[in-house]
Amino acid sequence: MDQLGTTLRELFEKRNLSRRTFLKTCATLTAILGLAPEMLQDVVAAAERKLLVPVIWLHGHECTGCDETLLRSQTPLASDVLLNMISLEYMDVLAAAAGEPLEEHLQQVMQAYKGRYILAVEGAVPLEADGIYCMVGGKPFVENLRQAAAGAAVILEVGSCAAWGGIQAAKPNPTKSVSVSDVIHGKTIVKIPGCPPIPEVLTGVIMHYTLFGKLPPLDSVGRPKQFYGNRIHDTCYRRPFFDSGMFVEKFDDAGSKAGWCLYKMGCRAPEAYNSCGNMRWWNGLSYPVQSGAPCVACGANNFWDQDPFYERLPGIPVPQTVANADKVGLITAGVLTLGVAAHGAASLIQSKKHAAEEEEKAKEDEK
Amino acid sequence: MKRIVVDPVNRIEGHLRVEVVVDEATGKVTEALSSGTAWRGIELIVKDRDPRDAWLYTQRICGVCTTVHALGCLRAVEDALGIEIPKNANYIRNIMAATQCLQDHIIHFYHLHALDWVSPLAALKADPAATAALQNTVLETYHLDLKGPRSYDLDAYPKEFPKGSAVYFKAIQDKVRQIVDSGQLGIFAAQWWDHPDYDILPPEVHLMAVAHYLNMLDKQRELVTSHVVFGGKNPHPHYVVGGMPCSISMQDMNAPINSARLAVVENSLGVGVAAAELFYVPDVLAIGAIYAQKGLLDGGGLAGKRVLGFGDYPEDRYTGTTNGDFHKNLLLRSNGVVEGFAGGVDKAVYHELSPEDLSDQEVLTEGVEHSWYSYANAQKEKHPWQGETTPQYTAPKEGDRTHWQQLNEDGKYSWIKTPKWRGQTAEVGPLARYIIVYTKVKKGVIEPTWVEKMMVEQIEAVSKHFKLAAQVWMVSTLGRTVIRALEGQLMAHISQYYFDKLVKNIDAGDTAVANMEKWEPATWPAKARGVGLHEAPRGALSHWVVIRNGKVDNYQAIVPSTWNACPRDGQAGRGAYEQTMLETKVKIAEKPLEILKAIHSFDPCLACATHLYDVTGKPITVVHTDPYLRN
Repeated sequence: MDQLGTTLRELFEKRNLSRRTFLKTCATLTAILGLAPEMLQDVVAAAERKLLVPVIWLHGHECTGCDETLLRSQTPLASDVLLNMISLEYMDVLAAAAGEPLEEHLQQVMQAYKGRYILAVEGAVPLEADGIYCMVGGKPFVENLRQAAAGAAVILEVGSCAAWGGIQAAKPNPTKSVSVSDVIHGKTIVKIPGCPPIPEVLTGVIMHYTLFGKLPPLDSVGRPKQFYGNRIHDTCYRRPFFDSGMFVEKFDDAGSKAGWCLYKMGCRAPEAYNSCGNMRWWNGLSYPVQSGAPCVACGANNFWDQDPFYERLPGIPVPQTVANADKVGLITAGVLTLGVAAHGAASLIQSKKHAAEEEEKAKEDEK
Repeated sequence: MKRIVVDPVNRIEGHLRVEVVVDEATGKVTEALSSGTAWRGIELIVKDRDPRDAWLYTQRICGVCTTVHALGCLRAVEDALGIEIPKNANYIRNIMAATQCLQDHIIHFYHLHALDWVSPLAALKADPAATAALQNTVLETYHLDLKGPRSYDLDAYPKEFPKGSAVYFKAIQDKVRQIVDSGQLGIFAAQWWDHPDYDILPPEVHLMAVAHYLNMLDKQRELVTSHVVFGGKNPHPHYVVGGMPCSISMQDMNAPINSARLAVVENSLGVGVAAAELFYVPDVLAIGAIYAQKGLLDGGGLAGKRVLGFGDYPEDRYTGTTNGDFHKNLLLRSNGVVEGFAGGVDKAVYHELSPEDLSDQEVLTEGVEHSWYSYANAQKEKHPWQGETTPQYTAPKEGDRTHWQQLNEDGKYSWIKTPKWRGQTAEVGPLARYIIVYTKVKKGVIEPTWVEKMMVEQIEAVSKHFKLAAQVWMVSTLGRTVIRALEGQLMAHISQYYFDKLVKNIDAGDTAVANMEKWEPATWPAKARGVGLHEAPRGALSHWVVIRNGKVDNYQAIVPSTWNACPRDGQAGRGAYEQTMLETKVKIAEKPLEILKAIHSFDPCLACATHLYDVTGKPITVVHTDPYLRN
């Protein structure tokens, strides 16, 4: 059962997969991890050297949407992740076994790989009334979580529920639900927020750890920078319309049909740090804004209580207002320029704030 | 007698615990208890919020059937506010609902249910050449050649065909063997692979099914491509009250929907038809025929006694649910209740469930006799518009409040309420839909639409294959699984049908996807209430909303699993899970595979993994069936 001595390369050999297949896999991983093509050699070296890491996946207060997002991963494919790339030792949604044998298996895995397994947690942790609002195996979920967290090398908060408390923590939070990191301390915890996270964001983080044996660079709140480093607003394909002051005024108007900016429909992209704008869903097929729906910032802390969702964000300077496509030509160049300038100032403030965060993080790292 | 606790039950959504008492001598189950063990309070969270936002919150009730609660909510709010959605929005929502249903059924069968029937270890004993031959025989024998009406057929050939060669099956077998030899069984670890039920099928069937399990793991995502195009993502695609946010323009490449985007959807709908007809239906029928011939047809439970449905897939636009318009042009008229189907369709009794019944305080109610909630004034029943969600947790019979050993079946024991139709429990789901439509057509209550005609033809084709009367094979654990596959095929054709209608309507010059006339709260009445109905993959779904002064004043959802997984009720009787477990025989008490199979046949929407304890609360003997576990 001990597989810590097995590298990805060795596993491919054991399963009679060719060197070519192995290299192809590495190339795919290089791309999905957002690394430059010249990094391929490093990925290959890592895959030949590094050990396969066991993964334990637990469920708290959740809707199972994050399991589903794992299954939707295209690059890498779910089957490759589950059967070839990680050692998924415990996940009750997909596990064949039920009952005592599976629980016994879990105990053995936690023992055998103490301090070396990844614990992925999906869902919030309800604490009200001693945790009785989420009972698993006749015990409060929080108790199972504490046990599994004790021996974990790294904990992944998969989705906005695990990362922030999610929907059940929205007011009035009747079950007093909190994030995993509100309960577990003294562990390395990575936040992978989103409701759910983009499939490839989730598998990308897992693969970074399995390949390089360390976490991807994190931002000041513990999110992987490569996926959460940009605002959707800054990578949005509708951004040029924002800058030009061309807005959807109501659903299905002329601006909607022309793909103009959704800011005035309540779009939260200006405060949403996520990969929907650059990576998109289904290998670049679409994301909510592309399909005409304003972003709700589903990866942001407390976003459920930032309602109503169709009310525009306060404090984001709007460059210009137009009622419909016909009026675009009427905008005076002077007003337009003014708007763009105001927006530019806002971006500058944002980037300064960002730089300050970076600096603070760097200082912490030095300690 | 042995009391067996299964908590939580695995390969499902959510958190479910079952307890059964088994007579070890006869295998008979003498007591059965089903408990939902988690409560998140979304009804309370959505209160006082903007009704136009409510779908986003209620959508998060479930991320597996990841669109159905949004649809139920949108329909409820639109019913309350008198909003009529444009034709295109109706077509798009129907495409999304049908593809959701197909994908959900496929994931359910291959990834959540198949491992109750087939084993990767048994697949190692198969002859790959014989498996290839079997694959071809199965395709020829069990291909149900039924088509929906369709005017645009843009596929040159079915691209998703089973790879039926000996070389292919040998490659799969080698791969499985390497996984087994490596000792890294991963998700296949620790199952009761030595259970005698795995010997019912020949090794070649196991190998074929395991190959398709892997194929479908990668394929399922393509089936909901329509969600990503129309709704921007999956899970949890986006909608809007009044229609859809995805505007249509044939003149602008920036438009959410144009010809190129429609081509992406069209392609994925073709994949859906092929996946259902070349994989799903033949696989299930091949396995089913063997079980049916051996007479393994227990676990019918409540299905033979009482089933309920609401109907779905409006042909065109409709102006509301409570005024009855939703029900006027449905393609799938599973609205109604059928009692006594186990005795055959002739003896079955059909009861109408009319739109007026929805507002009737006597017809649809929920009780909390054995649920961890209390009602004001100790009231027993409540219509969902008056529904209350006030938790009242009580300790188990044995153990303490945070460490259960045995739940108290005489007291409160579940976070699920008990929904009732005229004071009685009922089963909902694909099997219920098929029983209701079949009964209505056979009794001449309705002149069948093309959808209903296909449903009857499917049932008759399978009855011929199994050489059994419909009520014999349908009312069983197997029947629930077979019917779901038939519905997968049906949904694939429904999605293409609405795609056709969408294209024709756009071609006729109508590109509207949203009706914004009543978008502003100022246009709403001070008080309004509505209901949204949907036939979700797991069964009849209803969302109930009361809106006061522009805010949600009360919200209740009666989800399919509430009907099926509910605790018993003194007057109404047992729910579907409990009744089904009582009618399921268990060969080995310590390895209650049959109980899991029966519960899984409902595709439960609760939550996952299993612990077995004896009556004293100590773990029962752990039987390691997986040799790799011991190391």
